[in-house]
Amino acid sequence: MALRALLGLATASILGSAAPALAQEQDFFEKRIRPILANHCYACHGPHAGDGQAGLRLDSLEGMLQGGRSGPAIVPGQASASLLIHAVNHDTTLQMPPRAKLPIEEVTALTLWVDEGAFWPNSARPMVGQQARLEAAGGEFTEAERAHWAFQPVSDPSVPNGGTTAIDAFIIQQLHAKGLKPGPQADRPTLIRRATIDLHGLLPTPEEVRDFTNDDSSEAFERVVDRLLASPRYGERWGRHWLDVARYADSNGMDDNIVHGDAWRYRDYVIGAFNQDKPYDQFVREQLAGDVITRWGDDDRSAGLVATGFLMLGPKMVGEDDPVKQKLDFADEQLATTSRAFLALSVDCARCHDHKFDPIRSSDYYSMLGLFTSTKTVLTYRVTSKLNATALGGPEADRRLSEIERRFDYHSDFVTNYNRATTPSQVVDAQQEALKEALDDYFEIPKAMAVAEGDIGDLPVMIRGSHLTPGGLAPRRFPAVLGGKTEPPIRSGSSGRRELAEWLTRPGHPLTSRVMVNRIWKWHFGEGIVRTPDNFGTLGERPDHPELLDWLATRFVQDGWSVKSLHRRIMLSSAYQRSYRTQGPAAGADPENRLLWRANRRRMEAEAIRDSLLAVSGQLDTTMGGKTLKHRNFTNLNANALSRDPDLYASLRRSVYLPVLRSALYEVLAAFDFASPSTSNGNRGSTMVAPQALFMMNSRVVDEASRGFAERLATEGPSGDAERLHFAHQIAFSRRADDGMVPSWLRFLDRYEAAAGSRAEAWQALCRVLVSSNEFLYVQ
Amino acid sequence: MREFPWMSQRPSRRDALRCMGAGFGSLAMSALLAEDAGAKGPLAVRDPHFAPKAKRVIMLFMFGGPSHIDTFDPKPVLNRDSGKPLPFAQPRIVSFPRRGGNLIGSPFEFKRHGESGAEVSELFPHVAGIADELAIVRSVHCTNPRHGGAVLEWHTGSDTFIRPAMGSWLTYGLGSENQNVPGYITICQALAEGGANNFGAAFLPAAYQGTPLGYGDVKAKDARFPFIGDANRTNLQRLELDMLQEISHGERGETGPDAELESRIASFELAFRMQTEAPEIQRIDGESKATRKLYGLDDAVTADFGRQCLMARRFSENGVRFVQCNSNGWDHHFDLKNLLTKMCARVDKPIAGLIRDLRTRGLLDETLVIWGGEFGRTPTAENADGRDHNPHGFTMWMAGGGVRPGITYGQTDEYGYYAVENKVHFHDLHATILHLLGLDHERLTFRHAGRDYRLTDVHGEVVRGLIA
Repeated sequence: MALRALLGLATASILGSAAPALAQEQDFFEKRIRPILANHCYACHGPHAGDGQAGLRLDSLEGMLQGGRSGPAIVPGQASASLLIHAVNHDTTLQMPPRAKLPIEEVTALTLWVDEGAFWPNSARPMVGQQARLEAAGGEFTEAERAHWAFQPVSDPSVPNGGTTAIDAFIIQQLHAKGLKPGPQADRPTLIRRATIDLHGLLPTPEEVRDFTNDDSSEAFERVVDRLLASPRYGERWGRHWLDVARYADSNGMDDNIVHGDAWRYRDYVIGAFNQDKPYDQFVREQLAGDVITRWGDDDRSAGLVATGFLMLGPKMVGEDDPVKQKLDFADEQLATTSRAFLALSVDCARCHDHKFDPIRSSDYYSMLGLFTSTKTVLTYRVTSKLNATALGGPEADRRLSEIERRFDYHSDFVTNYNRATTPSQVVDAQQEALKEALDDYFEIPKAMAVAEGDIGDLPVMIRGSHLTPGGLAPRRFPAVLGGKTEPPIRSGSSGRRELAEWLTRPGHPLTSRVMVNRIWKWHFGEGIVRTPDNFGTLGERPDHPELLDWLATRFVQDGWSVKSLHRRIMLSSAYQRSYRTQGPAAGADPENRLLWRANRRRMEAEAIRDSLLAVSGQLDTTMGGKTLKHRNFTNLNANALSRDPDLYASLRRSVYLPVLRSALYEVLAAFDFASPSTSNGNRGSTMVAPQALFMMNSRVVDEASRGFAERLATEGPSGDAERLHFAHQIAFSRRADDGMVPSWLRFLDRYEAAAGSRAEAWQALCRVLVSSNEFLYVQ
Repeated sequence: MREFPWMSQRPSRRDALRCMGAGFGSLAMSALLAEDAGAKGPLAVRDPHFAPKAKRVIMLFMFGGPSHIDTFDPKPVLNRDSGKPLPFAQPRIVSFPRRGGNLIGSPFEFKRHGESGAEVSELFPHVAGIADELAIVRSVHCTNPRHGGAVLEWHTGSDTFIRPAMGSWLTYGLGSENQNVPGYITICQALAEGGANNFGAAFLPAAYQGTPLGYGDVKAKDARFPFIGDANRTNLQRLELDMLQEISHGERGETGPDAELESRIASFELAFRMQTEAPEIQRIDGESKATRKLYGLDDAVTADFGRQCLMARRFSENGVRFVQCNSNGWDHHFDLKNLLTKMCARVDKPIAGLIRDLRTRGLLDETLVIWGGEFGRTPTAENADGRDHNPHGFTMWMAGGGVRPGITYGQTDEYGYYAVENKVHFHDLHATILHLLGLDHERLTFRHAGRDYRLTDVHGEVVRGLIA
């Protein structure tokens, strides 16, 4: 592949002159080298600079070899791998001296000196190269690093006594150990409201609340949970949770906001996976390697291809002129997302140096990165790079697609780069016409944003993260601290994604099941058992209930990685069904509710707010699936008008089907902490900011929803003001209005009507107050 | 994931107070909140690391990449050798190699101006008149030769990943002096080339994101803040808010006092007040005829950017920490002579007017004004009569806010291709800007996903030579 060739080119030694004779080394150093260092470097990296800027001292060979924050300054014998040499050449981001480049003869002298072994008077001749040092560092983990809880095998603890369910037994045990008792159970309207918002992201209807409240049987809640899990609204809600982790978006959103014209298939795949209760291990394997674990003719071929959209969806600097940097950046994004989503580790932090906090070495990073640089993600690493796709119709259709892609790429390259001064206009016109035809053909073919096996090979460790300073080779494998070095080598001819998928979903993997169980717990309770669901590393929190986490992770695997079974276990526990009551004896001992003595209260997520607004007003369109962004592949949505086209978000369908346009996010969702779709995020924020209030007061969405709500009250509701008020409360709050408040509400209607001159507007205002209230927006 | 002390899931009363407000400000305004007056909202004023020279920033962003060798960096040798090939190698990475040509001299005349003798071309006659206020930096460089990469690099410090914008870092570090307007406003910014990422908060809390006032294709006079209500409905909204207060007061009785819910209701009051005050500051009706003329509002060519600059002054004097004015259309791949002349005519008088006005009002010393684009342009021709992108050496200038006035700093080579003397990378400018506002760029950090992030990542050095 081109990468190695380009690397070779970029690092070719800039000089070919003869070496000074051995006897002259001292002379050469004192006359040529030491003066350069003293004049240009010592001020910041010399004897009077303490540890030196960035921890680097350049006044001894030891200082140079030990290096600073960026790693060793020199690799004796290898100028091309020496930071110092790249720095004085000003050919990477590290440019030294910072202000003005050294004269070329001084750069030449330094290069020569390093290439000839970096002789330093009175120092032992260096024998240890950069590569050896990296190996030494990568090979050794401290006891503390190995002992980190998340790297230990998942245990199968025995269930303690007490509690209505096993989950409760673990929770009660810890509460009792602190001398505390759990709070009371929630009442039925609260419980069904909580469960419905939780599983569907919608409010229960007044009828559903009534039926549940009137059902005296002990299985009543179980029936509610099963009903909710069986509805397709469930996958739309929980699929959206996963789309946060997958940083799902319908456009690229970096420099160019290029439409992901086929991303919707991945979104529908995810929703379907949750609705079908696809085993989580299969879900993981398909997203990482669906293209290689299925074959044409298999029933799940399309699903396998579409699922790899997971790797395709990241934001990409498509207008990057350096093809090697581009390839590494795209792979880096895939690695960051993969490691955060499935391992809850930030492997990507080891791009420029060993991970500062976790036992992830730079060599681990490049070993993992090799899986993704061996994977085909874009057609070419040339501006503007275009995403790979696979036709869904079979091998023949895919061949046709490849042919169209070639045409498309050729003409688009021409149109982007032709010289206005020398190219006749009819040539340009013809090329533009051909480009349009190719684009039309491309658009017609059903296809998936999918990866494929690419140019397979290992990467060198890039010193300080720069491809201009390659070090020793890092064979493709998984992180050493997780046993990656003892795994069989990646099969020849494989990028290693298949092996990665198999390794991750092995029942004994210490992280995969724990991480997902914790995510699901977090999406139910608002907090995970580990409160940093995306970071199980040393800077993350430790589990509040480690035994419970392991017990659930073990059951999860035993249940065939069934997510729905896990929902059932969690929701049928008493812990889930507790009331939100902040008072009580436990309040003082555990104000954060880490021991789960009460329910948490949460503001609804952005999608649930919008969907509920549409639902109460009777406007919600429950059509499922399909392409909802009308724009074609390769459209750049970065035009001012285009990215603010009101039609983009005019749909009345559930929020999960609205296009997610990076850098042109729907302002309604953005106002309520929609997760930034640029990085994997399993832990959305929940802020409270004035623009949210402005949104409730002044936005078109709330205006239309409150009007629709009021009209619905007029057509469906009873005619008397007081009864209609109760009806409105049942829709919005799942309860009747407080009797004591009825006179206030009626007074409000009269005063508003007097001021606005319209009873209908007064009812709309009343509805706006209801949907603006805390009771509407918060789940108790 | 976010890791921020006042964003915990279950906030105490004090924490909840910190959480609220944001976007448009925060502090306690009701009796309920008054008791916690010492609490700090996300935009409450925070102490800098050391005594600042400047309190606020006005960025004048020329989107597209204005040619430095036709404006602030005269190159006699280039003019002499016009038509000859470039006598040294082009950069390793060039965006449009197929369009390149030989050297092409500048068609514009340069003169020395003011006591400082700063060289400014005929394209900027008004700016030339305030040359003694400027610190002209001729040796700026960045790494990315494409608009998207370079624009993001200027605004966020990264051309590789989505990162918080400089204005977001500043409001995160210092808060905002006025809680009733956004702390970071960008006027009519283009949504191209990185789009909202250029004024986004990325992983910083949403409170620090830039608030767009209009967009690139909106006239300054039509620019509006998002979700601002109709002034005629104020009395009706008051009725609704009173009712909301009443039912919210009711819900407090059941589960005991709850700071989070109370704060949320309080945020409606804040929003209510904000929506009358922010548009009021934006309005320029009360400005004198002389002032409007100073900014070129009386001339169709300069009126639009003039209005941006005048609004910027009004926001700035009302305590907005970071205001950006945006001029779009500086990407002159062909017909540079005519197109550049047109663009300069649009902004020249407004810019000079802004500097003079700030000086007259005694605001310039505490307001840092920065002018420039995402890169400069090549001394070689593109498409025969244009110039290609050049991130390797170009000019930006700064004024006021503790900058050393009347200097020209750094040099490009004799053709204007590469910065060669006293090179100043974007990271260095970012470090310098933070420094002028009293922040140490190595200490202004935010922990996200297990790592402490900075505007300058692992780079940047304060350019002492630019500081008064």
